[in-house]
Amino acid sequence: MSLENPRRLYPAFILLGAAVCILVAAAYYRDEFRQWKDIQRQFIREEMRRASTPQQRLLARNIPVQIRQVVLPELRRVDRCTTCHMAVEDPSYGGFPQPLAYHPLHDQHPFERFGCTVCHRGQGHATTTADAHGHVPYWDQPMLPLRYIQASCGQCHEAADNPAAPELARGEQVFESNGCRGCHKLGGVGGVIGPELDRVGGRRSADWLMAHFRSPASVTPDSAMPPQKFSQADLEAITLFMLSQTGASMTGFYTSMKVVPSAAQGRHLFQQKGCIGCHSLGGKGGSIGPALDDVGMRRAPEWIMRHFRDPQSVTPGSVMPKFGFNESEVLALTEFLLHLRDQNLALSLPSLMSPVERGKEIFRKFGCAGCHGQDGKGGVPNPNAKTGEQVPALLHVADGYTREELVKFITMGRHQVDALDAKRPAPPLYMPAWGAVIEPAEMADLASYIFSLKPKGDDLGF
Amino acid sequence: MKAWKWFEGSRVGRSVFRVGIPRSNLERAQAMVSSFLLHVQPAKVNRRTLRPATTLGLGLISLYLLGILTVTGILLMFYYVPATDRAYDAMKDLQYVVSAGLVIRNMHRWAAHLMVLFVMLHLCRVFYTGAYKRPREFNWLVGIALFLLTLGLSFTGYLLPWDQLAFWAITVGANIAAYAPVVGPELKFLILGGNSVGQEALIRFYTLHVIVLPALMAFMVSVHLWRVRKDGGLARPEEGADRLERIDVEHLPTNKSYGLMELTRSTSLQVGKNPEDEVFSWPHLVFREMLLLLAVIAVVLFLAVFWNAPLEEVANAIHPPNPAKAPWYFLGLQELVSYSAFWGGVVAPAVLVTALVMLPYLDRQAVGAGRWFARERRLANTVFTIFLIIAVVLTVIGSVFRGPNWGWVKPWAQPPAVTEGH
Amino acid sequence: MTPQQPPSDSTSRRSFVQLAIGWSVAALAAAASSGAAVRFLVPNVLYEPSLRFKAGKPDDFPDGSVTFLEDERVFIVRQGNTYRCLSAVCTHLGCTVGRSELGFHCPCHGSSFDEQGKVKGGPAPRALEWFMVTLSKDRHLLVDKNERVDAEKYLVL
Repeated sequence: MSLENPRRLYPAFILLGAAVCILVAAAYYRDEFRQWKDIQRQFIREEMRRASTPQQRLLARNIPVQIRQVVLPELRRVDRCTTCHMAVEDPSYGGFPQPLAYHPLHDQHPFERFGCTVCHRGQGHATTTADAHGHVPYWDQPMLPLRYIQASCGQCHEAADNPAAPELARGEQVFESNGCRGCHKLGGVGGVIGPELDRVGGRRSADWLMAHFRSPASVTPDSAMPPQKFSQADLEAITLFMLSQTGASMTGFYTSMKVVPSAAQGRHLFQQKGCIGCHSLGGKGGSIGPALDDVGMRRAPEWIMRHFRDPQSVTPGSVMPKFGFNESEVLALTEFLLHLRDQNLALSLPSLMSPVERGKEIFRKFGCAGCHGQDGKGGVPNPNAKTGEQVPALLHVADGYTREELVKFITMGRHQVDALDAKRPAPPLYMPAWGAVIEPAEMADLASYIFSLKPKGDDLGF
Repeated sequence: MKAWKWFEGSRVGRSVFRVGIPRSNLERAQAMVSSFLLHVQPAKVNRRTLRPATTLGLGLISLYLLGILTVTGILLMFYYVPATDRAYDAMKDLQYVVSAGLVIRNMHRWAAHLMVLFVMLHLCRVFYTGAYKRPREFNWLVGIALFLLTLGLSFTGYLLPWDQLAFWAITVGANIAAYAPVVGPELKFLILGGNSVGQEALIRFYTLHVIVLPALMAFMVSVHLWRVRKDGGLARPEEGADRLERIDVEHLPTNKSYGLMELTRSTSLQVGKNPEDEVFSWPHLVFREMLLLLAVIAVVLFLAVFWNAPLEEVANAIHPPNPAKAPWYFLGLQELVSYSAFWGGVVAPAVLVTALVMLPYLDRQAVGAGRWFARERRLANTVFTIFLIIAVVLTVIGSVFRGPNWGWVKPWAQPPAVTEGH
Repeated sequence: MTPQQPPSDSTSRRSFVQLAIGWSVAALAAAASSGAAVRFLVPNVLYEPSLRFKAGKPDDFPDGSVTFLEDERVFIVRQGNTYRCLSAVCTHLGCTVGRSELGFHCPCHGSSFDEQGKVKGGPAPRALEWFMVTLSKDRHLLVDKNERVDAEKYLVL
């Protein structure tokens, strides 16, 4: 028989054909046996167990085993979480072990409108546990640990306005009062020494942020940022607040919710529309219209809302014009007036404050404390700076500068900080030029505040 | 068996299969000539053709891979949407919800890489056996065009998943193109349909990938195969050499007759001239080709079942990976570009393509065709091998020895802890 | 293949069996692959509006109203405390019917239907379909387009 006779190759033919068959079968196997199918069958068994009538049993048996998904075009998401988490809408599964547990809060955030990943993160497309929960390579949005879940509220709700998210409010408080904005921009406001924080929550994990606050250099070797001495609770709160800064742009339906219950939004509108020109709060303001301090107690919310829409409709002969507020503005202003019992809200209206008080707000708003310490008392390290390896305190500015010099200094900044030792690396922190950011009127208030920091009775001792 | 025989003899059977399973030499010849798929090959081929060592089957493997890519590619088109906000989601759907979606995408990806590899190997084979010499010069040129088309298809397909890998590989690749003299920046602008990789680039790459380049490819492949036939089949050494190499001589019947189809020009079979070196294509050649097809399918399936095609995060123009790398077959170029944009991005590819195109016209010596590493071609082989080694070394360096900031890394060392820089 | 040495019968038979097995296996592989390709084309998830959907709270629909839901192409009909759901898809060739004085009218080929969905004129072969309406666990109207019911079947609240 010839060497070339194909018969010699018949066994190879069979083997190769069989190899292709086996591989195709393996592909089928990979496709057919999926974890979620087991979980759905477990759910069906549980439903069967609970069924008491034949009809219920039939219903349970007919639950189809298939991928479930919530399509959310507005959020650009497809969430398939309910493929495994099948009982999220059924309160009778409260306390049932995952993945078949009930999820509360359905009324406020119906899942067919919100999906799951917009709050919990993770990978909505995925249909295996590891991939869906997002702790896999090449997915930068793993599930948010539950203790940080309030960070997600911040995507739509103002931090301060949501009583259900106290940790978020606390985080914002820690952020603002520790002067983080001195170096970092958030929402377009802040310094230029550190990076902007608008998207940081989508890029960094909680662990990274924690490590970073404790010792910035441990995760970012060249960081100029001094280590922060937060209490554990503050540390967790500010980590949570940072996680809330995802830069996600919510649209339409979702942002409308943002405005509705917000007294802070109302305060902002109240200030912006110049209501204080006619009305007074705490004895300050105009006298054309009535004082508003106790309006929330005198009038029903409905009355106030109708009044905003059309003042004459409830107070014939009123000289107040129709401002043409939209419905969410009406709601926000009403919220504000109803919350006036909370003194802080009213008193924090800039037009009602003294220059020093306003200056203090500006000091806080732009995060000056981040470098100069709380109340300008200093103590923030700046290695190798000639000023005692610290950022200078501001307590004695009034002795060394005139008002004009101080304003000029803040406006221009000082980018070269004198080094203690020329051989060591230059001091990382410096004074940015704030001229383009802080407006002239604010600058004057800020100067008043800084001058007011001088300790009383200290003149002689210096 | 009886049923088959009946079917074969029936009107329908004859109209479809014409000769049925050949039982005589005449029918064996007719089987080849009367079939659309088979008639591209002659009824009889030289015995050397059957030997794996002659060509290693590299061209045929490339053709099979092209076939697999066509089938899987068409299937993928049913789910893919070439829009920046949907392409990546389509990849995820293929992975998570479409039956066999992942395996089919894997097959497409791995077959594409393999095809680039095998086309390159095929090119090397043709060089080392001197098979581009007269009268095959033109087919060498067609082959070069097919090589470039293969790179073009792979490169345009690379963008479509719209993940970080795709986005930055195309960004880097398009910027290498921009180094071309005179027309470079315009070329980049034209292929991207803008100044950066975006929706316009995606739809351009998609159109090129699914219709323009495949249509060209189909046409050029047809020309390539037709020319193989017209040029007398595989390149064969001179008579003397062939006789020396022959292992097994068989006596064919003397009462056989040969058809006209065997009377083609030059080195192909001629009547009366050593007919004992010829065997019938059916079943000898056809059966071996079919085995090779099964083997190629098996290998691609094996890769696809056990290794997933890469899919990174969704494309993000703000966060380039460090380092951003072009597809692997361009990494040699990228490595050169890192030394000198002009030498690496312009001179090297230009010299390479020009040299390949001019080769059959520069090397006019007729000897050494059809034999591996012919002694008479020592100079040509040495020069080519040096170029090949340089290309392979550069590609390997670019692929595995380059890390962040295009700095040196040791691939066997643990990657350094990633510090997320601000 | 070698006429001089015809293969023995047993060799020949073995070869034939081997070849037959080989072709069978290859055919199986081809069939399985084709099957996989067809299965690939059958979608496992749909992006169209679900056939089972929540139409809204019962109070969203005033008494005596016939409300058109665009995405789902149905009318929600409320009379007193009864709720029903009528298909807006013409039974002729699938166009969307609109309201008319007498009931419903299809703009494509002029079929018309009365308030109960019965054909009053035009080429439509059958009455418009009524779908099952139930109340979901969170007290929304739940329509299931998979389940067709008689015009007389109401959800009563």
